[in-house]
This record gives sequence, structure tokens and C-alpha cells, in this order.
Amino acid sequence: MDLDADLDRRPVPAFAHASEAELARILDFYAVAWEYEPRTFPILFDRSGAVRESFSPDFYLPEMDLYLELTTLKQRLVRKKNRKLRRLRELYPGLRIKLLYARDFRALLFKYGKLALADALTGADGQTTPPRIRTPGSTTRTWPARARVAPPAAGPESTGDAAAAANAVLDPSRHPDHGRRRARRSRAEAHARAEARLVIARGSRTPEVTA
Amino acid sequence: MTRQPDLIADVSEILLTEEEIQAKVRDLGRRISDDYAGRALTLVSVLKGSLPFMADLMRSITIPVQIDLMEVSSYGGTATETSGLVRILKDLSSSIDGRHVLIVEDIIDTGLTLNYLVRYLRGKNPASLRICALLDKPARRLVEIPIDYRGFLIPDQFVVGYGLDYGETYRNLRFVGVLRPEVYTADPD
Repeated sequence: MDLDADLDRRPVPAFAHASEAELARILDFYAVAWEYEPRTFPILFDRSGAVRESFSPDFYLPEMDLYLELTTLKQRLVRKKNRKLRRLRELYPGLRIKLLYARDFRALLFKYGKLALADALTGADGQTTPPRIRTPGSTTRTWPARARVAPPAAGPESTGDAAAAANAVLDPSRHPDHGRRRARRSRAEAHARAEARLVIARGSRTPEVTA
Repeated sequence: MTRQPDLIADVSEILLTEEEIQAKVRDLGRRISDDYAGRALTLVSVLKGSLPFMADLMRSITIPVQIDLMEVSSYGGTATETSGLVRILKDLSSSIDGRHVLIVEDIIDTGLTLNYLVRYLRGKNPASLRICALLDKPARRLVEIPIDYRGFLIPDQFVVGYGLDYGETYRNLRFVGVLRPEVYTADPD
């Protein structure tokens, strides 16, 4: 029986981390369909409704309607991811998402007798990703473009255009200036978070922040 | 020098005693006998870990059953199996077309193998397809699969015995125990 014959003919996306590539190989092995970072969810907005922070889960398993987020990084970054995940669950309560921590990933590789590989793929050592395999003219399923998810509860003044514009700014595609843009974005996000805490402390239940 | 396994000393804690396992197996056997009375039932077990559970469960079932065995390759099982797809190493010996099939598993953790098997067996047109698992480790689940007959929920620990192995050893323990971490962390991959 041919469970999913096109799985091994798909173009391989540019994974951000080698552990993601390994997880993709495991899912492929067991014929589990997946998409890599297919959607970006806005999770923090300013008063104009512009997106100040967003979250793109690593994998989506369409047959299970489940998102997977893999984190093999330092505890400081895990805390940041946990915070984003809490925010995501608050704003999108119907979303099914599972966070795989470093220990979960290690256990997964251990199960398959690859403990040494787990060490190599954890943390900064795993930041090397395999080169992207391009299949020009391929008739197989192309990798889905990252979809933008409309914010469910944007601020009262927000518009779709503002969210779209903010998404464009937040797009982490491989821009030549990506590092500096990311640093600027991190500062802006930190500023927005600080202000959001102020608003929340004042009793606001909306995801607004003061611009 | 290769470390010699010690079946007893390598286990830090007995999670399930032989008596607890046997009582649970008898209970599962009774439930399955009641639920499938008057139906053509085939038990399908997945080698190798499910063998002791299968052997005890089938003898606890009081209605006529057929049994069959399957074996599937595991990711990373060999150097070549980190790519490609899971392979059926041993397929069913008899047709399950129109029969009620119960998959008998020793443990479900990620659910990846079982998810594959369910899809594979559904393609063979059974009258029904359900799952019986002695151990359920939900903390490791990647793929949610409904378990119709569950023996025990177990914590996120590395367990051996009653068919479960580490490096093909410890399967013959009559209980389920937690393997000492130093046993597997000392071994090179």
C-alpha cells in the first residue's frame, strides 16, 4: 500500500535548526505528513492593531491538526518560548500545539538509538542546517508559503492592512540584513512587552499595548 | 570493554510487579472476551516487545481468536533507516478482510509506529480495528491515537522488562522496571 508516496519527493525546506531537520526525517519515516512553519500567529499588538510580536510554530501535522514547536536551546530562550506559547494559547484557544523540550527531543532520539546525535543537535551546536535542496520545475507538492493568521482580537483601531504591514516587517525571511533587523525587532518587542505588562497591570483584558 | 548487563542490578525500581501485570492482563482478557463475543477476532501483535503480553492476553481471552504477528522497521534501526520510509519486515500471515482486528501493543509512547500500523491495517479492510496496549506513556506522545484497552498509564521513565528491551536485553524480566540511567548513558551510540 502506498501511504504517502510523495513524501520523499518533496523539496526540503531551509530548517532553522538541525534538530528540526531530524524531526522532519522521523516524521517522514513514519509517513506523517507535515508542513514547516506554515503559519505565523500574531500574539502582541499595539493600539493601532499593528502586530508587535508573532509566533511561527515549527511544524504543522495536517492529519492530526496539531502544531509542534521544537526547542533545544538554552533555558533563557525556553522561558521566552514558554511565554510566547502561553500567549498563543490565550489568543487562539482552539489551537492544538505541543512543545517539545530538549529533554523530549533527547528521549526521542534515545528511543531510536541516537543519543550521540541528540547531543550534537542540542543548543548552538545544532544551528547548522543542511543546504536547501531545490527542485526547479518539480511537479511535486511545493512548500507552502507561510500563511498569515488574522489576529482574533486585535485592538479596536486595528485594521487588516495594519496587521499585514506589521507581518511584512516581522517576516523572518532570509534578508541580507536579517541579523540587524532581528536585533531591532527584539528591542521593539522588549519595549512592547514592557508596555503590555503596564497595560495588563492596569486591568486591560485585551492584547493592546500603548504605542 | 563492553559492559555486561545485570538483569536485576540494572533496574532501579520495579514499576509493575508480575502480579499486577497478570491481574491487569486477566481483566483486559475478560473485557475483550465480552466485547467480541460472537465475532471473528484476530489479535495482531507487533514484534518483538509485545510477545509476552500477547502470549498472556490470548490465554486470558475465553472466546475463539486467531493471532498474527507483524514486525516493522524502526527509525535509526540501521544506518540506512534514517531516511526513507518505515518498512514492513514481517507482514500478516492471513487475511483480515472482514475480521475484527485488535492490535496488541506492549507500549505506546510517540504513537508514530502505531499510527503507521493503523493506517496500514485499515487498508486491508478489517470489519473493525481497535487497539490494546499494556503500557501508555502519554508524556511522549506525538501522534494522538485512541486506545480502546489500556493496561497502565506510566510516567515518563525508561522502562524495561515483560518484553521491553534496552539493546535487546531485559525482555525476559517478569516485571516492568525502570532502567538505571547510568546503564544507557554509559553506552556509546
